[in-house]
Amino acid sequence: MPPVINKEKCIHCGQCVDICPMDVFYGSKKGEFPIVRYPEECWHAEACALQCPVDAIDFRIPLTLIVPVKKLPHDAMS
Amino acid sequence: MIPLNQQHEADVAVIGGGIAGLMAAIAAADKGASVVLLDKANTKRSGAGATGNDHFLCWIPEKHGDISVVYNEFMDSQNATSNDTPLVMRFLETSPKIVNMWNDWGINMKPTGDYHFEGHAYPGRPRIFLKYDGHNQKAVLTEQAKKRGVKILNHAPVLEMFRDAEGVTGVLALDASGDEPSFITVKAKAVVAATGYVSRLFTTDPTPSQMFNTNMCPSGTGDSIAQAWRIGTYLVNMEKTYRHAGPRFLARCGKATWIGVYRYPDGRPVGPFITKPNVETGDMTSDVWSSAFTDLKLSGRGPAYMDCSGASKEDLEHMRWAMKCEGLTALLDYMDKEGIDPGKHAVEFGQYEANLVTNGIEIDINGESNVRGLFAAGDMMGNISGDIGAAAVYGWIAGHHAADYRTRALGDISQESAEERMAFYSSIYERKVGASWQEANFALQQIMTEYADCGPHRVRSDTMLTAGIKYLGDLRKKIETQLYATDAHELMRAAEVVNLLDLGEALMISARERKESRGRHIRSDYTFTNPLLRDKFLRVWKEGDEVKTAWRDRLI
Ligand SMILES: Cc1cc2nc3c(=O)[nH]c(=O)nc-3n(C[C@H](O)[C@H](O)[C@H](O)COP(=O)(O)OP(=O)(O)OC[C@H]3O[C@@H](n4cnc5c(N)ncnc54)[C@H](O)[C@@H]3O)c2cc1C
Ligand code: SF4
Repeated sequence: MPPVINKEKCIHCGQCVDICPMDVFYGSKKGEFPIVRYPEECWHAEACALQCPVDAIDFRIPLTLIVPVKKLPHDAMS
Repeated sequence: MIPLNQQHEADVAVIGGGIAGLMAAIAAADKGASVVLLDKANTKRSGAGATGNDHFLCWIPEKHGDISVVYNEFMDSQNATSNDTPLVMRFLETSPKIVNMWNDWGINMKPTGDYHFEGHAYPGRPRIFLKYDGHNQKAVLTEQAKKRGVKILNHAPVLEMFRDAEGVTGVLALDASGDEPSFITVKAKAVVAATGYVSRLFTTDPTPSQMFNTNMCPSGTGDSIAQAWRIGTYLVNMEKTYRHAGPRFLARCGKATWIGVYRYPDGRPVGPFITKPNVETGDMTSDVWSSAFTDLKLSGRGPAYMDCSGASKEDLEHMRWAMKCEGLTALLDYMDKEGIDPGKHAVEFGQYEANLVTNGIEIDINGESNVRGLFAAGDMMGNISGDIGAAAVYGWIAGHHAADYRTRALGDISQESAEERMAFYSSIYERKVGASWQEANFALQQIMTEYADCGPHRVRSDTMLTAGIKYLGDLRKKIETQLYATDAHELMRAAEVVNLLDLGEALMISARERKESRGRHIRSDYTFTNPLLRDKFLRVWKEGDEVKTAWRDRLI
């Protein structure tokens, strides 16, 4: 579920780069728009989104990570 | 050769700034020790407790009365099979003090106004998990450590530990904060190892193509367990691999936060405990029958679902709030985006791949290992479980005792060992072609899953484990000569694979030695459970290049 950063909103503060526990933004330079260098190492902890001061980070969920759900017959009873 | 750019000295070096590591650093500094803490990431958001937790196992005398109430419930739980009783008692006795400390520091241990226990409980029985709001726990503990003068080195994964005849002497780490790697050494009188849980040893169960979709932090690769192993530290209970469960296919811990009932596809409850969601107890079925999800699937009666649809509006709101305290923000975001409403939709649950938790360094009552001055705390302790509660409390205990070494003279890191290890890691970085860390990690997972996987429905045997040990040896030779990394980050990941390889070996040798079936350790050649081995712990360690094993009695 790699992060996708909104170019319009981002202020290039570099906080996501430093906080990400997996180093997904590794190699990004301070003062520049961050690069998502190692997307396959994202743990979807969302630490970066929680840290971002301008709410610029969203996530794309890979198709492999779908959460299957079902409406159970029991619903009718509750 | 990668340059050695930083050399530090400290009374106590702490490896890992997770829950246990930060608590160890705080306790050691409180006692007047100088402390250097090294973390692989940034302690404000690293490890399994990165974005929060919400259940804290502890004893609060005014709520439980006698300590035996908590002890008995704890020892009845699925992960208590590796617990030495004196350590459990020390943990529980110390827990009220730590809980109050956390509350004073600003981690809300009384989100409902008072100490309140809920979840992971049987109907009608005492509850031992304190409901708390841990969303800010890492930032608070980091601030407390800094306030006490702890020197925190972030993005500085530890690569090796060193010792001499007297005991531990220090650590070698990598500065992975920039493009170009460099080495860091810390000479220390005592070391607290606290690198957490071991992920990525077995093929990721829900999503083999996504190695980092693990229920616990995938940067937790048992580094310090392997580093300790290499210097002759006793490991214990390595064969007792664990398998957690949770939502399919987005792997995440925290199943006790769901307020619902496990159900068959036709709506019947899977377990005997509840028929309607119960906020106070949760559904204990998966704690008691931990293989339920796999059993249902393989028997064709599944899949199993977590169904919260009978919960009241207030309970569903409470669950949403608790999931935030627990750090399940990603899961909540996902469900919101997909229009999944737990009040209407039952979510499929399943078991995840095998992991190591409460399989690791054997400690004494003070958190110290057989190597003098080397302490261990948190998920990597081999003989006491207890997740966040035990990590916090035993972290504090280990740091407290590690600080006693501050009056000892600083030893020397052996020049020869340090140079040999620096040359090894430099060779990985200098190699221009070869095997990436991913390739090596997948190769390792393949062998572990094929030859040493644990139950349900997977068996181990002497011949399979012997073959697996041989293949690990072959892989080791290739890894040592072919592994390559193009930057400091990849070098850190490469070092993780080297560590996982050692843990795989220790695990397989232990599993071959336990000649019985017990829990998830299912032997096709010893299908019975041997009562004589019930309270026996298996110790495994290295003497030079030789691996030794020995049985000992569980301490009662
Ligand atoms: C989503 C989720 C919910 C959970 N909920 C609960 C709950 O409600 N109750 C509960 O009891 N438990 C819960 N747990 C488990 C709990 O978080 C862990 O048991 C606890 O965090 C363990 O603490 P630790 O210090 O051993 O490891 P961690 O907190 O994982 O810390 C390990 C640290 O070591 C660092 N590290 C790793 N390798 C190196 C290295 N080579 N060099 C330097 N540093 C390194 C990491 O960066 C990390 O900071 C949950 C876990 C998850 C993932
Ligand atoms: S934290 Fe937010 S604003 Fe700062 S660099 Fe990252 S995305 Fe941009």
